[in-house]
Formats: sequence, C-alpha cells, structure tokens
Amino acid sequence: MGRFLLRRIGLALVTLWLLSVIVFVACEVMPGDVARSILGPTAAPETVAALNEELGTDRSVAVRYGDWISGVVRGDLGESYAFRRPVDEMIGQALWNSAKLALLAFVLVVPLGILGGVVAALYEGRAADRAISVGGLSVSAIPEFVWAVAAILVFGIWLDVLPVTAQAPPGSGVLTQIEYLLLPALCLVLVLFGYLARMARAGTVEALDADYTRTAVLKGLPRRTVIRRHVLRNALLPTIAVVATQTGYLIGGLVAIELVFNYPGVGRLLVRAADQKDFPLLEGTVLVIGVVYLLATLLADLAYAYLNPRVRFGGAAA
Amino acid sequence: MDDAKRRVDELRRASTEVENHLIDELAAGKISRREFVRRGTVLGLSLPALSFIAAACGGDDDDGEASPTGGTDTSGADPVQGGTLRTALITPAGALDPLTVGDEGGLAVLGQSGEYLAWSDDELVLQPRIAESWSPNDDGSVWTFAIRQGVTFHDGTPLTAEDVVATIEYHLGNESNALSALGGVLSAGNTELVDETTVQFTLDAPNGNFPYLLSSDNYNLIVLPKTFTGDWESTFIGTGPWTLETYTPEVGVTYVRNPDYWDTGRIPLADRSEVKFYEDEQARVIALQGGEVDVVSNFSVAGGGALLGNPEFTVIELQAAQHRVVHMRVDMEPFTDKRVRQAMALALDRQALVDGLFDGKADLGNDSPFAPVFPSTDPSVAQREQDVEQAKQLLQAAGKGGGFTVTLESWQGFEIPDLAVLIQNAAEAIGVTVELQITDDGAYYGDFTYGGSRWLDSPFGITDWGHRGVPNVFLTSALGTEGPWNAPHFKNAGFDKLVADYVAAFDLDSQRAVAGQIQELLLDETPAIIPYFYFHLAATKNVEGVEPTGMGHFDLTRAGFVS
Amino acid sequence: MTTVDDLAPVVVHDSGRESRRERLRVVLRSKTFLAGAVVVGIWIFCAVFGPLVVPHDPYADDILGKLQPPSTEHWFGTDRLGRDVFSRVVVGARDILLVAPLAALLGTVLGTALGLVTGYFRGLTDDVIMRVVDAFLAIPVVVIGLVALTAVGPSRVTVVLVIGIVFTPIIARTVRAAVLAERDLEYVEAARLRNERAPYVLGGEILPNVLGPVLVEFTVRIGYAIFAIATLSFLGFGIQPPAPDWGLQIFENYGLLSAGDWWPTLFPALAIATLVVGVNLIADGLTQAFER
Repeated sequence: MGRFLLRRIGLALVTLWLLSVIVFVACEVMPGDVARSILGPTAAPETVAALNEELGTDRSVAVRYGDWISGVVRGDLGESYAFRRPVDEMIGQALWNSAKLALLAFVLVVPLGILGGVVAALYEGRAADRAISVGGLSVSAIPEFVWAVAAILVFGIWLDVLPVTAQAPPGSGVLTQIEYLLLPALCLVLVLFGYLARMARAGTVEALDADYTRTAVLKGLPRRTVIRRHVLRNALLPTIAVVATQTGYLIGGLVAIELVFNYPGVGRLLVRAADQKDFPLLEGTVLVIGVVYLLATLLADLAYAYLNPRVRFGGAAA
Repeated sequence: MDDAKRRVDELRRASTEVENHLIDELAAGKISRREFVRRGTVLGLSLPALSFIAAACGGDDDDGEASPTGGTDTSGADPVQGGTLRTALITPAGALDPLTVGDEGGLAVLGQSGEYLAWSDDELVLQPRIAESWSPNDDGSVWTFAIRQGVTFHDGTPLTAEDVVATIEYHLGNESNALSALGGVLSAGNTELVDETTVQFTLDAPNGNFPYLLSSDNYNLIVLPKTFTGDWESTFIGTGPWTLETYTPEVGVTYVRNPDYWDTGRIPLADRSEVKFYEDEQARVIALQGGEVDVVSNFSVAGGGALLGNPEFTVIELQAAQHRVVHMRVDMEPFTDKRVRQAMALALDRQALVDGLFDGKADLGNDSPFAPVFPSTDPSVAQREQDVEQAKQLLQAAGKGGGFTVTLESWQGFEIPDLAVLIQNAAEAIGVTVELQITDDGAYYGDFTYGGSRWLDSPFGITDWGHRGVPNVFLTSALGTEGPWNAPHFKNAGFDKLVADYVAAFDLDSQRAVAGQIQELLLDETPAIIPYFYFHLAATKNVEGVEPTGMGHFDLTRAGFVS
Repeated sequence: MTTVDDLAPVVVHDSGRESRRERLRVVLRSKTFLAGAVVVGIWIFCAVFGPLVVPHDPYADDILGKLQPPSTEHWFGTDRLGRDVFSRVVVGARDILLVAPLAALLGTVLGTALGLVTGYFRGLTDDVIMRVVDAFLAIPVVVIGLVALTAVGPSRVTVVLVIGIVFTPIIARTVRAAVLAERDLEYVEAARLRNERAPYVLGGEILPNVLGPVLVEFTVRIGYAIFAIATLSFLGFGIQPPAPDWGLQIFENYGLLSAGDWWPTLFPALAIATLVVGVNLIADGLTQAFER
C-alpha cells in the first residue's frame, strides 16, 4: 500500500511536470500580447513596451518558464501579470468557490444517478428503464449554458424563488450559500445525471447477472436483501470510476456555468488567464486543476480497491 | 433686448478673439445653442455666461436631428435620499492602476472615487471639476487651468495645484496609458505650476481640443496626491463623491457617500453604492431582471432584449461615437481600385443594419469617422445609400464584373459576427463572394503591429472602435499615412493635410469646413466602410438619475430610488 | 491480475470468436438499435437531401423580419438575422454528421493505437505514454482549443482536431484495458511463440478481438462529439458563421432566451438531443450484441 502510494505520487509529479510543459508550449503559440490585453487596443506603443518590460513579459517564454518552475519548486506560484496579485491567493479563493459548487452538484447527482441507474436496471427493457435512459441522455445532450439560462428564467425570474447569481453575500451562512448555489448545481446535475445513471445501470445489470447474485437468490434470500447486499455494492464500482473521471470535466468545464451565474470560480479564472496570456496565472490554474484531477482519480482507485477485493495494489504483471 | 445686447457686448470685450468668434457663430445661427455651450466650455467660458449669451442671441434650440439625450427622468418621479445603489459593471481586465487601466470596467471604477480636471458629460459638454476654469492663448498652444480651492482628498489632505502638476507628470514620466491621447500633444516637463491655484500647459503643437485630453475622456487622469507612488487598489484615493468601503478583486467594490465632498450640489443622494463585477453580458442583464442590481451600466441591443420595451426598466440611450470599421486594403487586390471599394460600400443597406442589429438605436454611418454626435461633423454631406445597380456598374468598370472572392476577417465579439454575415449576403447580391474568418480577439489583434496582426494585415476586416469625445484619433491613427493602426493602409497626402488642419482648427466653423472636405474625400476614396455609430445603453430598475457617459463612466451622485 | 491502473469506465469484454453474421442478426433484431437507426436515419436524410427540400434558403437574411415566432410560414420561427430556423436546423444536420463522426474517428484511431501499444508492451513504454495521456486528460479544453485555433485557424478541421485530441486519452484507456485482458490469452501467446513481429500481433491478432469495445466506444464518442461541438462554439473556437451548425445556432441565440425568444435556441437544442439519443441507442444495441 505504501509503495503503491509512493509510486502513484511519483507518477503524478511526472504528469504534472508534463502538463506544465504543455501549457508552456501553448503559451508560446497562443496569440495576443499581455500588456495589450491590459491596456486596450488603442494604447500607445511605448506604453505597451513599458508595461511589458515592467511585467517581464518582454523576456522569452523559455526564460519565463525557467523563472516560474524554479519558483514552483520553492512553493511560489508567482504573481499574475494582469492583476499583480499572488497567483496562489487568486486560485485559492477561486478553487474554494468552485469546490463548493462541485461538491453540492456531486451530493445531489451521485445518489440521484445511482438510484436512477439501479431502478432502470431492475426494470430493464421496460418503460421506467427507457424513460430514465433516454430522458437522462436527452437532458445531458443540451449544453449546460442553455440549461443555465432556462433555469434562471424559470426559478429566478418567473417563479422568483431562487437567486439569479451564485455568489452569496459576504458572511452568509451555509444554508444561504446553498440557496445561491442550488441553481448552478442543478444545471450540472442535469448534465451529469445521464452519464452516471448509465454507468450505474450497466453495473447493476452486470451484478444482477453475476453468479453470486444467482447463488444468493437460489439460497432463498429475499430480493430486497440480495439487491442491498450484493447488487448495490457492485453497481457502485463503475459509478465511482466515472465520478472521478468527471472531476476534471467539472473543475475545468465549469466555465459556462460560472460565466452565466457570475461565480468567481476556477473555470472563469482559467478562461481569463488564457485570454490574456497571463502566463503565471494560466500555468498555476492548469496545474491546480491537474492536481485536483489526479487526486480524484487516486481516491477513486483507492475506493475501488477497497470495495472490490479482487483488485490488488501493486503493478506486477498479471 | 437692448439691455441684453449691451451686456453681451460687455462680455465680448472681456473675451478672447476665439471666444468672440464662437459668439458670432451663434448669433449668425451657424451653430445651435447646445453646440455653442459645448464649444464655449472647451474654451473655458463659464456656464452662466454661456447660457446668458445663448439666451440673448437666441440660437436655434433644435439640433435638427432626433437624437437621444442623456435625459434620464423619463418617469418624472424624483429619486429619494438614502439607500444602497447596486450597479452591474463588466469585470475590470486587470489591476486597478491609474497608469494602466484601459478597459471599461477599470475606467468606470476610477471615476467613482477619483475625479478629473473636467467631466465630459453625456452630451460631450465639459463640466469643470477639479479645474474651475481654463483658457487658451491666441493660437491654442498654451492652456492655463485654474485649480479649484477647498477640495480635499479622502484622507483629509487638501488638494493643491501642485497635486495636479504631479499627477500629469506622473503619467507622462511612467509611460501611462494616458499617452494614447497625450502623446505628441504634451511632453513631460511642460506642465508648470504658475502659482498656488494655476497650472499652465505648453503644448507640442496648437490643439483646439486640449481640455478634452485632460478630461474624463482621458480616463487615466484622475487627480492623485503628489505623494502618490502606486498601489491605488489599497486606498482608491481621490477627491470624488464616493469613498472606498471595501474592495474584493473580481467581485466588486462598495462605497460610502463622501460627506465632505466639495460640490454640495453633488453629494450623493444614496448612502452607499455597491459596484458588482460581471464578466458576461447575459449575467448582467439577468442580474437586473432578477433584482440583484438596480443599475446596468452598459448593455447591447443584441444581449439586452429583455430590458428593451419592458416598462419595468428605464433604458437610458446615449448618442455616441462607438462604431465598426470595415477596412479594405487599398494596396492589395481586390481593393486597389477605389471603384471596387465604393461598390462594396454601396451594397449595404445601412438603415436595415441600424434597424435590424440595433432596433434603430444607432446613427447611420457615412464611411467616415465623423459621427453625427460630433458637432464638427458637416451634416450637409450626402448620406451614402444602398445602390446595387450602381455597385454592379462600378465593378464592371473596374474590370471585376465577374465578381471575385475575398475573405473577411474579424473576431467573435459584440454584433461583429452578425455584421459579417450581413456583409457576406449583401456582397453576394453584387456578385462578390465573401468568406468569413471569425477568430477570437487575441488571434485577430495579434501584437497590434504591422506584420503581426490580422487586424492590420488582412485585406478585408471588421474592427471595433470605442467612443471618443473628439474624432482626432480615428483620423490620425486609423487613417493617417503615419498612423499606427492604419488597417486599410490608406496613404493620401491630401487627407493628411486636411486632418492636420482639422486638429489645429480652433473654432467650430473652420473645423466643420475642413470636416466636410475630409468626409467628401473619404466617401470618394472609401478606404473603409463605417456603417453605423451605435448608442450607449444603460438600464435601471426603480432608480432614476443615473448619468452614464459614452466613454463608459457613470455618475451616480444624482441617482436614487423612486417608489 | 488487474491493477487499479487498468480500470476503465467502459470495458466491454469480447470473449470468443463468434461468427460475425450471428452478431449482426442480434443487432438487427434489437429494438434499441432499430429505434436509434430510425432517428439517425432521418437526420442522415436531412444531411444529404436537406438543401433540396427545405422551404427557405438557410443563409438568406431578412434582418427586418427577425425573431418571428413559429408560424405556418416559418415553422420554427426566424432567428436574430431573420433566417428561417427550420431550414437551418434541417441543413445543419450535414455539418454535425460530418464533423462529429470524423472527430470521434480521429480520437478512436489515435486512442486505439495508443491503447494497443501501451497495453501490449507494458513496462517503460506504457509508463511514459500513460503519463502523457494523463497530462492530456488534465488539460482544460479551453487551452487545447486556443492552441488549435492559433495553429490551424478556426474551421471544421480545428473542431475535428480539438475533439479528436480530447477523446484520444479516454479511448486509449479503454482500449488498453481491453488489450490487457487479451494479451495473455493463448492465441497471442501462440503468435509470440511463432516469432511474429509486434506490429503483426497487435494489428493482426489482438485488434480484431478488441474491435467490439472499440466500435462501441466510437459510437458513444460520436454522441459526446456532438455535445462537444456545441461547447466549443460557446467558447468561440467552433464552426464558423454563417454555418447552420446546431451548436453555433444555440450559441448565437441563447442570449435571447431572457427576452422570451425561445425558438431559435430550442429547436437546434432538440435536434442535438434527438441525434445524441439516436446515436446512443445504436451504441446500446451494439453493446448488447457484443455482450452476448
């Protein structure tokens, strides 16, 4: 277990380094000028040159990368070009905001998705199955920004029961924050539900077919007990794997939702950094998203191993 | 009347030659009363004197055009004292530093707690603020500003003329963004402290519009204490009617009323003001609909359909000079022949563009940067109308009767993609095939220099230009031979000469005479299509008295809730 | 023994070498498959013959007749430039049916190649390639989109490239898991004993046996590609105007929802939803057939 973790962490560091190189190359080819994007298109050329020099953006991107990576090794993510504030501070706040939103969405969608998937599997081929499968799929096929505007119109403006932005006033309690985050979380739920339910359904169908389930049924255990003891546990496995792979999407793909709900999260920060070629901010944001993604997959793998005794830790060949 | 005439004569004796010329223009009916007041303020005549003269001379009150104005009291209800005003503003693009701000979000924040020497109001009239008055020498090469006494910064320090000199020199010495307007006009070291209350500017060349360059139009120039060395974000130091309460980057600013504000007539009605940042236009419009804010400082017709025509909201319309330039490179095929360029311009139905893209909330453009909102624009120049037959004939005459294919480049912003599609369809009607290449702004603008920017290198492109109080930048930088942003690569000595005359021209009469020639020349050469100048729109709900400007500033001092 | 690294969300195991014809018969008898085929078939018809049958020119603007609600003249109303939404939705099928499968195909080809190599060789090759794959999985689409936009310029090709690259690592993981299950089976062992070269073992022996999961993954990815195209349009890297692409139509018009103009958004959204559902029903039908 210890060796497994060490190996995973080592590999994760390699992945993160590769990630930072990819972003570095991306910055090399992406268009735009940092000082220009801050000063606006009509700024005088000497003003642009002066600001680029002050920010250090007139140096080659290789020098900037060297500077940046040596800082990162010392635990310093540097300072945003456009905002002249420490990147870790900016990301910290944004990450915390996004995490709250993602957590609420997960808390809502995981039980719903599993329940939907299990119900669909139990009624495989019947109306309930079709309704859940096709319904879930159609709902997640519509882009989240469309759901966002539609949800705001219905709940925020016509019915006027929920706030139209996601950011609660400063100093709000947990309940108020949840109230503000409910609509954006709902949009994420709509998009994720279909996928999750599909996975849960597949897992359940397989579990229902499995030998141990047949044995349990033959032993005369009540259906309810069989489902609870054997089927559910096995249906959870693929679902957990899916949840982990969706973390990357959730954190990085929150962009549209965060824009429409005006929520200062990581997605919004990322688009802004990419737009302005804010190299330290972009590197920092992508790296942090990478860490979250790798952590989530690691946790999912651990959970998977814990729930499924057939999987053993270690990298030996089969 | 005789008595009035006598007093006008008295005033005239006290006025300079330039000022007298202006009074003559008014008396002769060459300019409207509104334009007279506007020009008069530039030259430093006091408002009471101007209105007195205007009344005595009986200038034409009507502008001769159905223009929107800054009038906000459409409901007639009076705003009440107190409360907290909440305004939705586009998120500033970077750190809030007076030296580097260059975007609408940033400049609007500067203008809340900070103050300028003068305020360019919603009708492009200069209102004295930190400067009490100003006047030029005879040729407009030296301008003298009288600095107001009794003004204090938010930290209690009194403002002096020294602070004004220090502010200007701070910007000139640090390559500030203010250089985009002051470059080539005022050099470092030429701002002098004459005495405790007087500052004198010696210009590089005569300039008839210099006070605009020190006004809120040059939004970086809020007056700072002479001890200021940077880090404006931590204090929001200024002399304005609002003082900083809290600032949360990327979320917003809260202000409280400044009870010690010098202009007792403009001490804010509301107790507090919250400016909230929104990245997305849709989010801003929704915020007003959903009651998250009371004011939206700027929105577009395309994105704000929910606010237009809904009696719940008060929409403020402001005639402005913001526009699109569809450039055609005169040095590259297929646009080397001016008949081809004229044909492209004739293919467009401008009225349909104005009505369709802006619900009529825009002025027709006539392929020159002289927007109808500028008083110097010569309204007698004939408007170019759609004429498909003539366009086809011109193409025929230019040897391109069989049509050609060209790529139109631009970026995904505002109504630009829609305009691009409409140009594509209009061109098809005259046999020209237009292909579209719509990228993002970074890819289109590149590094903003020739050879490294699709904006400046493409044969055919659409560029967005913001509002300016005067058309000078549009003329010199975007169309002049030496201009840094001459996308059509238009090099015309006659044009350059006319523009130089225009910039140096002092009185409206001669400005307009030159403007007319420039307009005619551009119509003939057509280096670019300028199809419209669209209005600045703001909206409020249960709030009256908000005064936005075309530049993007908004004045909330007279704003308050109405029941 | 499986390691945690080897798990992929969808592993459809293809055991045995049943006759292909038998499988085809199962597929054709599946109601799920048939329902999906009908829906997708309708859209394919629109893609091929759409321009010939639509009532209006999908590109012709009528700016003064913009945003008319659905009527007998304009069945789905008109959009913000006065173009006929019905005609644009019908003709738009062509764009999406061209771009989505191509993007999915690109991702499948690249992903399958990577998955085969990493699954078969294991060891260092595997470790190195999988780290790169992981790194790519963690890059936000925005960054990939921006880079591709610059390198290639905005076009359908860019869209295919971006989506293909985004899908590659996901498919690589799935295929790798399937290969891991195959590589120690007797027939592979036999080929190795015959001293066959690795490319032959991979292409000639293993690939045909993992084609099932690959095919299913391909179909599933078409569904996601349709969705991804819309998201790219939202970020501004998508298909160029004035194309009647569905995602682009939604992007261009969703801002009008708050003003009550729902039709230019709803109809393309419904079109996307039906096509995605149709493609997934086909994928389900195939999965069932291969699971048997």
